[in-house]
Amino acid sequence: MSLRGRRNLFALGVLGFSVLFLWGLNGLPAFGHYEGVYGITLNRVAVTQRHATNLVAAVTFDYRGFDTLGEEFILFAAVVGVAILLRAQRDEAATPDEEDEETKDESRDAPHTSDAVRVLGLALIGPTVLFGLYIVAHGHLTPGGGFQGGVVLATAALLVYLTGEYVALRRVSPESVTELAESVGAGGYAAIGFIGLLTGQAFLTNVLPLGMTGQLNSSGTILLINLAVGVGVAGGFSLILAEFLEQTLLVREREHG
Amino acid sequence: MSVLLPLSVVVPLVAATLLMAASRAWNRRGYDVFAIAAAGSVLVICIVLLFNSTREPMVYWFGDWSPKDGVALGVSFVAEPIALTLATLAAFLVTASLVYSWHFFDTVGNLFHVLMLVFLGAMIGFCLTGDLFTLFVFFELMSVTAFSLAGYKIEEEGSLQGSLNFAVTNSIGAFLILSGIALLYGRTGALNLAQIGESLAGGPADGLVITAFVFLIAGYFVKAAVVPFHFWLPDTYASAPTPVCVLFAGILSELGLYAIARVYWTMFDGVFGAGLVNLRAVMVGTGAVTAIVGAVMCWPQRHIKRLLAFSTVSHVGMFLVGVGLFSPVALAGTVVYLVTDGLVKGSLFFCAGILLHRLSSVDELGCDGLGRDIPYTGILFLLGGLGLAGLPPFGTFVGKAIIEEEAAHLGYSWVTYLVVAASVLTAAPVLRAGARVFWGYGPGDAYGHHSEAEGDEGEPETSEARDITPPLMWVTAAALLGVSLVAGMIPDLSIRLEPAADFFLDRGAYADLVLRGVTPHEVPLPPGAPLLKGAVIGLITALAAVFAAAMGLWHAKLPASMKGIIAKGLGPPFGRLRALHSGHVGDYVAWLTVGVAVLGGLLAATIG
Repeated sequence: MSLRGRRNLFALGVLGFSVLFLWGLNGLPAFGHYEGVYGITLNRVAVTQRHATNLVAAVTFDYRGFDTLGEEFILFAAVVGVAILLRAQRDEAATPDEEDEETKDESRDAPHTSDAVRVLGLALIGPTVLFGLYIVAHGHLTPGGGFQGGVVLATAALLVYLTGEYVALRRVSPESVTELAESVGAGGYAAIGFIGLLTGQAFLTNVLPLGMTGQLNSSGTILLINLAVGVGVAGGFSLILAEFLEQTLLVREREHG
Repeated sequence: MSVLLPLSVVVPLVAATLLMAASRAWNRRGYDVFAIAAAGSVLVICIVLLFNSTREPMVYWFGDWSPKDGVALGVSFVAEPIALTLATLAAFLVTASLVYSWHFFDTVGNLFHVLMLVFLGAMIGFCLTGDLFTLFVFFELMSVTAFSLAGYKIEEEGSLQGSLNFAVTNSIGAFLILSGIALLYGRTGALNLAQIGESLAGGPADGLVITAFVFLIAGYFVKAAVVPFHFWLPDTYASAPTPVCVLFAGILSELGLYAIARVYWTMFDGVFGAGLVNLRAVMVGTGAVTAIVGAVMCWPQRHIKRLLAFSTVSHVGMFLVGVGLFSPVALAGTVVYLVTDGLVKGSLFFCAGILLHRLSSVDELGCDGLGRDIPYTGILFLLGGLGLAGLPPFGTFVGKAIIEEEAAHLGYSWVTYLVVAASVLTAAPVLRAGARVFWGYGPGDAYGHHSEAEGDEGEPETSEARDITPPLMWVTAAALLGVSLVAGMIPDLSIRLEPAADFFLDRGAYADLVLRGVTPHEVPLPPGAPLLKGAVIGLITALAAVFAAAMGLWHAKLPASMKGIIAKGLGPPFGRLRALHSGHVGDYVAWLTVGVAVLGGLLAATIG
């Protein structure tokens, strides 16, 4: 189809689609008139039932914990997919015989990093790790949790790359470790689900002591699942970062000849 | 027993993480054995659950959150025979594909196995869930794994292109589904299918409900590859690894249709009940167009995997006719047809993989007569072609016969002709290709036109010796064909499914079971209908397919006047249809958007 034909067809489709969508949106309850029975019920009972002050965490990791297990595995599958699609191909693999060590090192150097970036980056790594751990561990109390904190933790890995080099990144997060973290996170989530089965209840039942509302050690398996997800997400995102960086470096290497 | 329900999903997922964690510790055979064992145990779990569910359907609430006063707080699995039939098929095909892959991809570690296991868990979760949002989560999980599996052969440009087209169109489908869920949640404040159904039934069939319905089915149409949402499918199937094609063609597309039936009968039946006749017309019409487009596009393909891809589109159209008749008998027939057809198509893809292994090509003309050394594969391939046509006693004829009869009952007697025509047009090119490749029939050079996928020398998928076919490859191909054959010989297969289909269509009974724990009444088995007429039609279809295949092989010998009529009459419209399948993802998206608009317009006019 020509560009023009495609545009016209698409414009026609979008026109019809928009009319349909607006017609649908028109049927929603007016702003501020939420009547959803699910949300209202959970708002009423969740804190007393789950001892989690962050209601979102109670919903995602307890009431609808099975959905979130699926989502954790979406991330897992996406990371495996990135590893598959970006794997080094036969013709891409740099053969060590062809290039002597010196040129290789040079081509693997990141573009010159300014001292400001290095100092600031180094200074930020520690606080970022701490902040990430905090977010992961307090998911049941305040906004945040394993997914958000895991990404913050992976940012620390990116800071290592920014301040140092790719090689340094591989040293602080070698592939075997990130792969393991990825599997432990996703598998750990499922394993926590088995605790319920072992006590004769349903899969993913929150059977651990719920503790005192508002304290760090409360809400039973919600805290544990957050920790598992944090490990998995940090590992997964580090792995994705590493894969993409490796790909960039391969391309850069090829351009340099 | 109920503990098996979560295990059917969790076992493959946990196995995948273990395999990933053990990546350095094991060797290739370790991955193979472990993955096959995991998929095999899931198959056993599914079979046990299936037999139990035929006695009594079961509900499982994750986290023990059973509903209070008709409000579902948690996520449920609903074990009933139709969902479990599809789950069992998925587990069987994944197990067979893993066995078949024993000789595949020797170089790339464990990631393939990991993804296959996650894919299996995703499909089973998709089948069993009773929750609209969980249905979406597992739809996404299936998609993400499927994108990577489709693009697995990264050394081929077509493979990444196919995967990209797949990812873009299916992601738009996912957005549509999510928007539909948001609209429904805004109206009903519920995510449980049964609860949404009860809430909607009391209200009007207004713009919101119709739009939500259109968005949901359009999203599932993309997955099922219904025209005009189908364009990504041939690009993806032609370049995906063979074991992955088997899963895509055998179960993935079919799951899209399953979701449509599921969401309609649990949520929309009450609110749309009055407009069912019109809805039926729209669905049957869409199915018919899909069946015809797929069948017509199938005929001129010379790339065998692409040929099988278009036949999948055509068959999806016929399944949609079956689902779209909105009757329990037709649904039972569709399930029989879908399962047996998926097995036959899987076997054909396995045979194509053997060709790729032995000849490094799946080009019908390029392999002309080169398959003479592997006549047994050829026999399997031809039997598969006859199975597609519905030759008794392949189970496919049973399913088709039931759909045809029920369609005639409901005033769609032309469905019989449609099914026969589409079956002939999809089976004949398979027979033609088989006869040419494995026995060298027909003059190869007299072929007049070029198909869009020229006979490229597909990158071989195996690295072992080329001069023998590894036994596991043809054994799995034969096994799939054999199961489909045996299924056709179980005399009351579809009758046994009918009580299950009755329950599937009974919104009230479903809601009672899910929300109130009331076990449905046992429905007595209906009297068996004689399938003689269907068997005769199947026989005629198979003969017509053989005849058409012979025409395809020796059409150079037709009288010149007849050839002229064919070229003039069919050439231009066909050329235009083929030009639409451009491989440009922008075109596909444009058609998708138009498809949503047209579907919305049709339903707004007939139901609203």
